[in-house]
Amino acid sequence: MRLLLIEDYRPLQQSLTKGLREAGFAVDTTGDGQEGLWYAMGNDYDVIILDLMLPGMDGLSLLKRLRAEGRQNHVLILTAKDTLEDRIKGLNLGADDYLVKPFSFEELLARVRALLRRSYREKNPEIKVQDLRIDLTTQRVWHGRDEIRLTPREYALLEYLAMRAGQMVSRTDIWEHLYEFKSTASSNVVDVYIGYLRKKIEQPSKPALIHSVRGRGYILGPEA
Amino acid sequence: MHSLRTRLLFGIISGILLLLLIFSLIVYMLIHHALLNQYDASLASVARILAASVEVDQNNIELEAAVQQMPEFLRQDRPTYYELWRSDGTVVLRSPLLGADDLVHLEASINALVFARSQDKNSRPLRAVGLKFIPRSANSDDKGQQLIQEQTLTLVVAGDATALQRQLGLLRWLLLGASGVTTTLSVFIAAVVVRHGLNPLNSIAGEIAAIKGDDLTVRVETTSVPTEIAPIKDRLNDLLSRLEDAFRREKRFTCDVAHELRTPLAGIRSTIEVALRRARNTAEYQTVLSDCLAIIESMQTMVNNLLMVARLDACQVAFRPVQIHLTELVNSRWQLFSEKAVQRRIAFENRVPNDVMVNSDRESFSMVLSNLLDNAVEYTNEAGQIWVTACYTDDSIELTVANTGCHLTSEQVAQVFDCFWRSDASRTSIGTHCGLGLPLVQRLVNALGGSAAAEVQSGGVFTIRLTLPASTH
Repeated sequence: MRLLLIEDYRPLQQSLTKGLREAGFAVDTTGDGQEGLWYAMGNDYDVIILDLMLPGMDGLSLLKRLRAEGRQNHVLILTAKDTLEDRIKGLNLGADDYLVKPFSFEELLARVRALLRRSYREKNPEIKVQDLRIDLTTQRVWHGRDEIRLTPREYALLEYLAMRAGQMVSRTDIWEHLYEFKSTASSNVVDVYIGYLRKKIEQPSKPALIHSVRGRGYILGPEA
Repeated sequence: MHSLRTRLLFGIISGILLLLLIFSLIVYMLIHHALLNQYDASLASVARILAASVEVDQNNIELEAAVQQMPEFLRQDRPTYYELWRSDGTVVLRSPLLGADDLVHLEASINALVFARSQDKNSRPLRAVGLKFIPRSANSDDKGQQLIQEQTLTLVVAGDATALQRQLGLLRWLLLGASGVTTTLSVFIAAVVVRHGLNPLNSIAGEIAAIKGDDLTVRVETTSVPTEIAPIKDRLNDLLSRLEDAFRREKRFTCDVAHELRTPLAGIRSTIEVALRRARNTAEYQTVLSDCLAIIESMQTMVNNLLMVARLDACQVAFRPVQIHLTELVNSRWQLFSEKAVQRRIAFENRVPNDVMVNSDRESFSMVLSNLLDNAVEYTNEAGQIWVTACYTDDSIELTVANTGCHLTSEQVAQVFDCFWRSDASRTSIGTHCGLGLPLVQRLVNALGGSAAAEVQSGGVFTIRLTLPASTH
């Protein structure tokens, strides 16, 4: 899943980016409001984490512009302002959630994941595809009773496919949601990771879980 | 006596009571005097009639029979007594009602009247009049003058004064009763009037009581306030306005402080939490710790600055003025920022003449210069310029710190001395510039007896101008 973090306080920006990446997200980061808007308009982010006091353009103006342009991204506001008035203002302008600084990183993760599930209309934190069971909260995957060990990148790929299980997901979509803006990896890397994932989650005796759609993309599980 | 109502009531009632007392006394005395005069006049006329009816024949002194038969002398109720003495003190005549009793013997000069109070045998109050006279001689005035002395008589006529006393008693009770009723009524009237008069105060008090600590926007609205109370209402509203302002500023300051502390706290927390999510190598932990340390250092600076601002506002900072060589101090302070300036290719020029000496507290004045230079380096454009000048004016030293690359409007420049104010609603990436530098400079300079002003000139030159008291040159 791909996130945009717009936060100008560098220690926070750096630690959040690091933590979110380690949690398996692709994270684009900027400390400038104007640049943040530009990033948000040019890419399809699953969740935008937005600070309110920003140089260039403040967070609320950015949010207003984003909604005015018809972008439906989920936006989580991070701010040190905690008055009810501020919260209401942010939520009224189209923010989906609000987190007051200082916050627990785990809470941020939980909220981001909740927003992601909302993005894919998935309320259940556990997704089942045939024998495969994915716990979105703990990011653990089981095949029957056996736990499958995945790398963060593999997990992210599986999660993205699972969120849209039964639907065809294009290679570009996958690449866009799993890789950062500044990533140098080519979209071929998607095929490589699909290969890794197949090896780990599929068993020769059982029917295939990931189906290729020639020249277009992949489907997890039986076609809907 | 703390209650205004009680005090007013007490004052009004005492006043009324005192006036009533004086008034009643005067009325009583006037009426008493008039009644007594009237009574005395009638007694006196009786006495004169009696005196005129005394006849002396040889050594025989008699009263005309017609006079003796006057009903006043005979009736049992409200009787009138008389008694006549010779000049040697022997009784000549007495009214039959007296029996063997004597009236009070009143001595007066010839033909003069003298009045007195007395009692009869039944303890009835009497009013007596004494008269000394020379009786009419039966055979005219052919006797020698020498007889006159021997023949002077003293007549005392006494009337029953019970009725008079009763009238006066009645008058006393009447006045007392009237006073009592008036006083009682005035208590009620005064209570109503005072309550009505104090109503605006009660109403204002009620409104003030209704003001809650968390909402100071309320004002005393009581209309139709009497002119005496209107100033109190106005002053109260003024006070409320000032309180509201002060609270709003205080609240904003507290909010700002909380806000400024929350962001670095969030930085520390997320840095540590992210680091703890998995096992890491020593180098990574070292980076995390030094990152946290940097944040803590900047927080410390901020807290120190805040404390300094608070102490200056509370006038709790003591200064020890010494002679400071300005050029040297500027150079030494610049050392702290020169590295950063070089990185950003900023040119610095110390144009302070070598002879300028400032008489000031070294530590505080160094703080002023550091903050000014720090601020300048932070906001000067890449490859811009910073320069410091100083000169003596009439009775002060003017020091300016200027830098290029300023985009502030003159309205924004007016705000640079406000705590936590930033031009673009953001903090810098380092987080040390939390908007306290220039406010601290202004407060310090003011406390050192000078003043600070900011201006922006064409070409984006931002200047802070300090006016300092001149040292003994």
